[in-house]
Formats: sequence, structure tokens, C-alpha cells
Amino acid sequence: MPAFDALKLIKELNRQEIFFCLANVTGASRLLVGASDGNVYDVDPLAGDQPEFKPLGGHAGFVTGVAIAGESIISGAYDGKLIWRGLASGEKTREIPAHRKWIRKVVSSPDGRLVASVADDMQCRLWNAESGELIRELSGHDERTPTHFPSMLHTCAFSHDGQRIATADKVGRICVWNVSDGAQLRRLEATGLYTWDPRQRIHSIGGIRSVTFSPDGKLLAAGGVGHIDNIDGLDGQTRVEVFNLETGEKLAELSGDGKGFMNQLIFSADSQRMLGLGGAGSGLMQVYDLEAKKNIKSDKVPGPVHAATLSADGKHLFACGHGRVLVWEVDQEAPVAGQAD
Amino acid sequence: MPVTRRAFLGSVAAGVSLAADMTVLNLFKSPVLADELRKNDKRVILLWLAGGASQLETWDPKPGRPTGGPFRAIQTSLPGVEISELLPKMSTRLSRTAILRGMDTGDGDHGGGARLMHLGRRDEPSVKYPDLGAIVARELGRADSPVPDYVSFYTATEGRGNAVSQAGFLGARYNAMFLTEGSKPPNLSRLEAIQDLDHHDRARLRDLLSERFARGRQSPSLASHNEAYARVRGLMASEKLFDLGQESLAMREKYGPTLFGEQTLIARRLIEAGVPFVKVSRAWWDSHAQNFETHVELVAELDHVMSALIDDLQDRGLLDHTLIVTLSEFGRTPTINSSVGRDHFASAWSVTLTGCGIKGGTVHGKSDEDGKTVVEGKVGAAELFATIFQALEIDHRKDYFVGSRPIPLTNPGTEPVREVLA
Repeated sequence: MPAFDALKLIKELNRQEIFFCLANVTGASRLLVGASDGNVYDVDPLAGDQPEFKPLGGHAGFVTGVAIAGESIISGAYDGKLIWRGLASGEKTREIPAHRKWIRKVVSSPDGRLVASVADDMQCRLWNAESGELIRELSGHDERTPTHFPSMLHTCAFSHDGQRIATADKVGRICVWNVSDGAQLRRLEATGLYTWDPRQRIHSIGGIRSVTFSPDGKLLAAGGVGHIDNIDGLDGQTRVEVFNLETGEKLAELSGDGKGFMNQLIFSADSQRMLGLGGAGSGLMQVYDLEAKKNIKSDKVPGPVHAATLSADGKHLFACGHGRVLVWEVDQEAPVAGQAD
Repeated sequence: MPVTRRAFLGSVAAGVSLAADMTVLNLFKSPVLADELRKNDKRVILLWLAGGASQLETWDPKPGRPTGGPFRAIQTSLPGVEISELLPKMSTRLSRTAILRGMDTGDGDHGGGARLMHLGRRDEPSVKYPDLGAIVARELGRADSPVPDYVSFYTATEGRGNAVSQAGFLGARYNAMFLTEGSKPPNLSRLEAIQDLDHHDRARLRDLLSERFARGRQSPSLASHNEAYARVRGLMASEKLFDLGQESLAMREKYGPTLFGEQTLIARRLIEAGVPFVKVSRAWWDSHAQNFETHVELVAELDHVMSALIDDLQDRGLLDHTLIVTLSEFGRTPTINSSVGRDHFASAWSVTLTGCGIKGGTVHGKSDEDGKTVVEGKVGAAELFATIFQALEIDHRKDYFVGSRPIPLTNPGTEPVREVLA
């Protein structure tokens, strides 16, 4: 069965918090979920009908990035702080004032040795996951938009081999970096994901909300929302732009059958398909065929999804969003990849 | 015996018709009255935040509450008063500002809310009320002024129709010079094909013909028409006021490179030259989705521009005579919707008044811990208007007359917010 053809929603947990990010503990259904109340919640969504959401406090502001590296949980928030906790205990072990502005995303490298954080100070910082030492700073995104407003560095992702990292900003710029020396390998422009309204409302909306490498390392996909006529809302079609990393050529511009941000992209193991999750007022899930360069499936999801991840064994898809944590069962015949974004 | 402006206006207000009112204004050409007016040269700059700015991301933050959003509150120069971290520059400049946190205006519709906050009251079928700018132009303008009385910038297209600009029963003389394309009035320059002398001669010929036509006729529109022509030369001469090339680069950088910054700098140039009322509209704040990112853009700009304006007016000695009003049609819901947005909310929101006639460093009114209701110091549109009028030393209880019907500036029983008046 082709990847992502058989996903069955098996759990919907409703909460009052807005959830922005999550990480799944390898080999378990345990999740760490970042919330709007400054907590990271430790929850096993498959543990009974009413699983406990154990709050791990420490942040002041929306928690927008959480990653697991080795035996640590690392979270980042709009307060600019990174907090390390023990994976087993949940106890705080380190707190670092990591960025001047909102942290937007925190990811760990596939080998668990590095943690990357991106923030609206337009810096990507690489940290030693064990010691918390700052290893490198990657600066390639402008602090201001072309129309003189503050820009935002929304997201980042490691490649599956851990040798590259991509960072993506509000105006549609993507920088691809060599992790070992910090060299900028490529700069890509996905400007179709940014709407500046110079006439009706004179401000902007959009930006790249998800970026991910294909498992074979050849492709990079960036997701968000396409052009919006009325930027009071997210009344634009979902949009994904796919690039050839070797040449920098844009291979596809994929508009989905739905509206709002494409907040999470997950490649299939064979790099032929891609799953996207997101939405605006309502949630959606879309499947893209990269060879045919089109959206081949769209499903509604209970509420907009802000982040999602596949379990390492590929059996479950976990997602979180506005007041919800969701779990799907994944058909085991389908060749899906593990967590990369 | 000196003639005070207030006494003068009070006397002419009693029982004069519109046409007579227009005629009476010509008496301001009297040197005595003109001198008195110069002493009272009060001005207003209205920063109209069209679409509805969020009180929670500006003047009334609720950090740590479910409704609070992601921004922190920061301590201001006023002990115990915190505002959103998006306003760091304003946090050190509140000594001349009053924050009203108890706005409860009851109309969460763009059109209705905007009309209410421009007129200070509900529409009435039989009367076309003037908006705030027209009233201020009427009260503080000078008939012999070489500059316009009321200038309004609204460059964005969204919500422009809601941003009421009407002189109503005051007559077209007090309509705004309404600029929608860029920051300069179109067609203000003399045609190159016409010499200045020719222009004067044509005006004299028009005056002669008009005077003959007007003999034996009494018409408000005729008076208004002639008023407009009488001001043509002055308006033409005011063209340079709209030219930012007249300002130093340092001053332009102070206000910043955005359209809102540029138009606010022009507003300062205009009030400095004697324009009594300038409205700079900054649209569009209607953040039903991504409220916080929208406010990162727009509040940062507001903080920069408003701070620059206050500093500039202070440096020029104009702040004592200039009232800066930041106003929207309403605020935004405490509840965060599923598009991470906030919707329309008129039940507990905030405005600020800075400068002329205002007791700076004050906070009036209080919303509950989640910002859902006003628990202290509720203020409606009429009370806000009365406060603005009093700050400008305009008696908010005075009457205009439409025919023989008295129309008070604010409805009977309306009281200004005295706690914020100097």
C-alpha cells in the first residue's frame, strides 16, 4: 500500500491549551507537548481514556519547540529560553537565555548530539545537546522584511544524515548549512509562501512554517500558505514548494485542496510522497505525489494542526494543535519515514 | 476689554443658523480675535488604528492568563503600570500620556464601531453629525488660515469607507482634505501654463462674478462655495507642508521609513503650521488570524512612530498645545481563536490621550484579570469625546444649532473623564 494511504484516527484528546510543538519518546507512545501556558506537558496519549497531562513548567510564553536528545528534553519558548530536563525525571537541569526574541523551533540532530534553535532574532544556534555549550551560530536571514518590518525565523530541520540543516523565514528565504563548519551551502527562495499586502491592509502574513529534507537527501520541501487576498485571515490555499538541493531548482509548487498553513511536512521513506498537516480555522491533512507533482488526497482533521511526528517505528502519527492532541494508527505496509522535521 | 475666544464662540453659537455661522467665522479676521486664537492654538493628531488594535498586545496586557497571549508585560516609567513588551519606547514616555483601559462602546462591527468612534454618538436619521475632526476644525480653525483645517490620511483601502470624514451640519467648509493616494494632495500646484499673475486675475474675475450672483441670495451652499475659493491660495501655498524633502534626513529617520511614519511626520509639519486637526490612519489591524505576528509588525511600528512624534513635539515646544489620540473602532477578543487570532471586541478596550490638556502618567479604568469586562472606570464614546473637547478647552456642553434645534457637542448628562484632565 502506498505511503500515507491508510491513516486511522484513534485518539483525540481535547484540552484548553493551544499546543505548538511535540516530540515522541523513541519506543513509546509518550509525548512531550509544548503549550500556550508556558508548560511542556508530559503525556502518553494511549494510556487509557483520560491520560494525565503532567505539566513541566519553567517557561514564560508559548512553548514552540521541544526535542529529545539522548536522555534530555530540550524546550524553547517565546521567552527566548532553552530549558534542559531529564527525560526520565522531567526535572530541570539547565536553563539558557538562548535568543533575544521568540524561539520558533527546536530540533535535535538524528544522532542526538546537537540541538538547533531558531528565533526571531533571525539566528539559528547549534548547541551541544549534552553540555549545553553553544557550538555555532548561523546568520543568513535579514532582520527586516523588504518593507522595513520585523522578520521572523519560523523553522528549521536537520537532514536525515545530520550533515545539513535548513532554516526558513517569513519572507520565504531558505538557507541550507553545513553543520560541521557552518558554511552556507545554498540559499533558496520560496516567496510564494509570503504575502505582503501593499495596498488594502499594508502589512503581511504567511512565511515558511515547515521545512524538511527528503530521506534520500536530494529534495527539500517548504510549506505554508499561498497568496492571500484578505490577510485578516488565512483564507489562502495551502502551499508547498519543493526544491532540488543539488541544483537549487524549484521542482514543484503544490497547492492543496484546503486553506491555511501547512505546518508539518513528512516524507515517505522512498521520498516519493509527502504528508502535510496544518489548516487554519479547521484542520487538514494532505498527501502529495512528488513524481506527479500534485496533491492526491485531502482529509479533514479535528482542528488545525501545529506540529506532528511519526513514531520511530512508524506505527503512529502524533499531532497537536489548537486545544487537541491527536493520534493516528499507520498502516504498517506503508513505507513511511521516521521523524525528520 | 479682551475678547476671549470661548466667550466669542459662545455668543455666536446662540441661535445662529448655518449660513450665519459661516458668515460669522469671517469675523475671525479681526486682529484681536486672531491674536486670541493664536494664544489658544491647540491642535489634535489622531492616530487612527483602523481595523481594531488589540488592547492586550498594547496598553492592557494580561500576561500569564489564558487570554494573555505570548507577550510579556514590561514595567513603564510609571510605578506599578505595565504595558505590552511590544511598546518598549512608549514605556519610557508615559509621563504625558493617559491610558484609558475601560472603553466599553458596545459596537463590535467595523462600520458601526468606526462611525461611533468618529462621531462620538449614534447616528440619527434627521441629523447628519460632524465627525471629531470637523468639530475641532470648526472650534480651533481660523477663517484667515492659510492652511487647511482638517487633513486626513487614509492610504490603505480596507476600512477606508468606515473612517468617517463628514462635516455634517457644520457645512462643507469643515470637510477634511482627505488624502488617499500617497501623502501629497493631488492637483495642488498651479498649472505651469498659467502665470501667477494670471491666476490672481482669474480669481478676481471669479470673485466679481460671484459677488454679483450672490446679491440678494441667502444660501449655505453659496457661502460654503465662496469660502472654499477664498482659501485656494492658502491651500496652494501649503503644498510644501506635505513635502518631506523639507525635513532633514535625521528627522525622517527618526520617524522611520514606513508610510505611517512618513505621514505622521507630515502631520507634525501640518500642526506646526497651524492645521488644527490631522488624522493619520494606519490600517489594517483586523487580526482574525495570526494576531500576535500581526501585532509584532504593527505595534512595533506604532511604538516607534508614536514615540518619535511625542519626542519631536516635546522638542519643539508643541506638546503642550497638541493632543495625540490613539483610537480604533474597538479592541480585540481576549479569547484566542483557532487561527491564533483575536476577533472584534468592544466591551473592554483601551485608548490613549497624550499631551495638550491631559494629566500625564495616569491610567483610568480597569478590566478584569482576563480582560473580558470593565470592572472600574467604564468609558463610552461620548465620555471620550467630552474628555477630548475639555482637554482642548472646548466646552463639551455647548450647543450648535441646526435651524432652531440645539445640538449639543455631547449629549446632555455626558461627563468627561476628569481624572485624566490636567
